[in-house]
Amino acid sequence: MKHSKDPFEAAIEEEQEESPPESPVGGGGGGGGGGDGSEEGRIEIDQTQEEDERPVDVRRPMKKAKTSVVVTEAKNKDDDEEEEEENMEVELTKYPTSSDPAKMAKMQTILSQFTEDQMSRYESFRRSALQRPQMKKLLIGVTGSQKIGMPMIIVVCGIAKMFVGELVETARVVMAERKESGPIRPCHIRESYRRLKLEGKVPKRSVPRLFR
Amino acid sequence: MSNTPATAASKSKAAGTSQPQEKRKTLFQKELQHMMYGFGDEQNPLPETVALVEDIVVEYVTDLTHKAQEIGSKRGRLLVDDFLYLIRKDLPKLNRCRELLAMQEELKQARKAFDVDEKELVD
Repeated sequence: MKHSKDPFEAAIEEEQEESPPESPVGGGGGGGGGGDGSEEGRIEIDQTQEEDERPVDVRRPMKKAKTSVVVTEAKNKDDDEEEEEENMEVELTKYPTSSDPAKMAKMQTILSQFTEDQMSRYESFRRSALQRPQMKKLLIGVTGSQKIGMPMIIVVCGIAKMFVGELVETARVVMAERKESGPIRPCHIRESYRRLKLEGKVPKRSVPRLFR
Repeated sequence: MSNTPATAASKSKAAGTSQPQEKRKTLFQKELQHMMYGFGDEQNPLPETVALVEDIVVEYVTDLTHKAQEIGSKRGRLLVDDFLYLIRKDLPKLNRCRELLAMQEELKQARKAFDVDEKELVD
């Protein structure tokens, strides 16, 4: 897949130059000013023991919560929601079991033993997300209202991402049953979708869909 | 970001929708490719698979939002809680949404503190 130079891809490329998270490095991220004057300033709160070579804006107070976030300011400022001043794309590298040090350690050991292939796939899994401006457009079109709050967009993006996950994983199960290999084909996705519908994970329309 | 598909779609519409090459406006194509790879597909998923998944996801979001609107109309506005109510049975999704909302709150607080600190430094 070719890389375009939008802020999200640029963040990925910069991350790929660094090594994957390894055994704990002492303390949080170091100093260095954030580029908040420029359009694509990269501000990061580094609060877990992760790799050290990152531009970090230290003015933010460090919290005890183990969160590591890369915030990239996007260029378009067409958001008018009350909660947001700028349109921010947030990169989440927070471990899901952040409050449990034992689970965190377990996660670290697993991650350290990943092959390159596994690591690349895991990275894609963590970093990929449906784009919020597009989702906002879709939601405005569906609801007919002009304003959609930021939390709603975030929640729907999260739900949709997990739904894609269910689709793809079920499709892989279908492929294993049929003893096929290679890229997933539309027939697998359709079968996977049918199975999800039977499980009740897909909202059913009371009226059948017309005029697609 | 999605300017090219949009203008292509409008051009084909102006020329008449009975054109053989009708370009569909894709919303999430690029991100979906990364996402499908992350979830188990190949590094480069088939374009027809990505198109199908996009259609399914758009339909899913649309239906979910319609249902949420029905619930929300009883109290007046559409709220985030309507979506949370709809996925209440699906525990992984529900927990993930709670996590996302908590994280957004945290970020908001951090950003607020950052703005305050910056102002103090300027003065």
